[in-house]
Amino acid sequence: MASAPWPERVPRLLARRLPPYPPPPPTVGLPSMEQEETYLELYLDQCAAQDGLAPPRSPLFSPVVPYDMYILNASNPDTAFNSNPEVKETSGDFSSVDLSFLPDEVTQENKDQPVINKHETEENSESQSPQSRLPSPSEQDVGLGLNSSSLSNSHSQLHPGDTDSVQPSPEKPNSDSLSLASITPMTPMTPISECCGIVPQLQNIVSTVNLACKLDLKKIALHAKNAEYNPKRFAAVIMRIREPRTTALIFSSGKMVCTGAKSEEQSRLAARKYARVVQKLGFPARFLDFKIQNMVGSCDVRFSIRLEGLVLTHQQFSSYEPELFPGLIYRMVKPRIVLLIFVSGKVVLTGAKERSEIYEAFENIYPILKGFKKA
Amino acid sequence: MVVFGTTFFNFDSFIEKTDSIEIIGKSVFPYGYHNILPLLNDSGRYSLGDARRPLHETAVLVEDVVHTQLINLLQQAAEVSQLRGARVITPEDLLFLMRKDKKKLRRLLKYMFIRDYKSKIVKGIDEDDLLEDKLSGSNNANKRQKIAQDFLNSIDQTGELLAMFEDDEIDEVKQERMERAERQTRIMDSAQYAEFCESRQLSFSKKASKFRDWLDCSSMEIKPNVVAMEILAYLAYETVAQLVDLALLVRQDMVTKAGDPFSHAISATFIQYHNSAESTAACGVEAHSDAIQPCHIREAIRRYSHKIGPLSPFTNAYRRNGMAFLAC
Repeated sequence: MASAPWPERVPRLLARRLPPYPPPPPTVGLPSMEQEETYLELYLDQCAAQDGLAPPRSPLFSPVVPYDMYILNASNPDTAFNSNPEVKETSGDFSSVDLSFLPDEVTQENKDQPVINKHETEENSESQSPQSRLPSPSEQDVGLGLNSSSLSNSHSQLHPGDTDSVQPSPEKPNSDSLSLASITPMTPMTPISECCGIVPQLQNIVSTVNLACKLDLKKIALHAKNAEYNPKRFAAVIMRIREPRTTALIFSSGKMVCTGAKSEEQSRLAARKYARVVQKLGFPARFLDFKIQNMVGSCDVRFSIRLEGLVLTHQQFSSYEPELFPGLIYRMVKPRIVLLIFVSGKVVLTGAKERSEIYEAFENIYPILKGFKKA
Repeated sequence: MVVFGTTFFNFDSFIEKTDSIEIIGKSVFPYGYHNILPLLNDSGRYSLGDARRPLHETAVLVEDVVHTQLINLLQQAAEVSQLRGARVITPEDLLFLMRKDKKKLRRLLKYMFIRDYKSKIVKGIDEDDLLEDKLSGSNNANKRQKIAQDFLNSIDQTGELLAMFEDDEIDEVKQERMERAERQTRIMDSAQYAEFCESRQLSFSKKASKFRDWLDCSSMEIKPNVVAMEILAYLAYETVAQLVDLALLVRQDMVTKAGDPFSHAISATFIQYHNSAESTAACGVEAHSDAIQPCHIREAIRRYSHKIGPLSPFTNAYRRNGMAFLAC
């Protein structure tokens, strides 16, 4: 499941229109699918910019009302995020967007400094510096992990005090209003962190939530569509929905397990949908303690790996029994992730509670795998 | 059983690949001898250290040896079961037979734990597996580990066996096999390596029904259960691996160096590098000379069964029928 090659990704992302900024949810929201992809692009832009190999991008943000823009200066990556750029008009309409979290002015910080400093110094400004939203290189390995817990840590891209606005992305999709012709395809680069080009894709998320009321499973099974219940086999109702494509196990105690989603937001959304189904059947269902229990990601390093070498040098972490299972099982200690590494170069990462753990684990393993590349 | 040093062999340049070694699914032995599992075919032994195109005679002999040993083991296990008054051969019976050899028992335990762990992980990845597992009702996690722990708990008088669970010593035999594999694979190119990997994935447990048939338990009154069959498949694999280990050693010993009075005392690692320098130069050598010969296997078995030392008549109670088990 390799990420799409860059030239394809960029136009696809840019093709999206800017979504109207949704009112901030009462609890801190998680990024939607679109925003997730734009975060991904931000992250990748970051990598590109560092090497100075990224072609000059068109100005992404409007400098005038309501906020300023900057130009990624490819020739001088160090100042790429610092310059207070020449402003350019954008044709996008952002009047509905709440940009109160934007800093007042761009400081001449070195991009290596933690992004958070800038946030702390500039509060609630209307101007730009969207680069302040981009992670500093030292934080790259955290990637785009954006969930409520990460908001408060220093790796967050957002202003810590700004719990409501978790959407820096409204700025980003701005770019889709610009002509595609001005965007040159991203060239592959030699990134500072070695695996910038490869990002693990999430394949499965398992989450649990407490509906906090006793349920009559028979009634649910009878009235709900797509529900299975076989009390002799298993003491729970198995319900499925098509969008997002997930499966839920609903127990009579009110606890529910939701599996099959491809992102944190989808998992939450699916869990909410199941809860609503239960509610509509007449139970006083609530939505307590939603927690992601396990995340599975996968990617492809695109070269063959000599597993015999890996198991010998990393004996204390790996077990490789090819007659039992074709992949090497690598138990990474920090972060606590289990990786299944196959000869073909496919890597499956599991055991994560947060997206950042998957990215971090892959960043850790990639240089090791390169050392055992089978020419 | 001591395996000292590391053994090394060269495989020749691939001469031709007539049977191209259908690695998985080859049901009939090339000679039409009788149905033999793919593992005992050339590729399986290749993955354990034999040459790329091992001899068929060797394969026949190895198959014979493994079959005989397994049947004997099964019969002894059946006797143990009967003593208990049970109706099936359980993994506990096999563990009981292996209680004397700590190292091999530990290897078996490790294998069982890894099997449990792997099912746990693979289950977590695929949501369908997760549902399957939940639906099956029973708590399958770590079932083999529990079986082993409970059993060893019950028979352990001196605490030695239970100490094995905490024991973190390196398994030398396994280490040597890993090193040998690593050395072999380092010089392969990607096509050869892909083939090597496929051959390593062969095992007796993949085609469990064929293995069952091959073992031919129909004549026995007491049959093994599922986990016991897994262990038997593993023991068969171990037997082949041990045979290859021993045969490589024997072959190495047979190489005499002219004018070197201490040739048998030189460490194996030294010999191997010396050998490799010569053999890589002489690539036109026949395939057969690098493969394990039946005589190596026979010599290995003879040495293994040979009773040496004053106390040998009193060791290994299960030798009463003359068979020394390689796997346990």
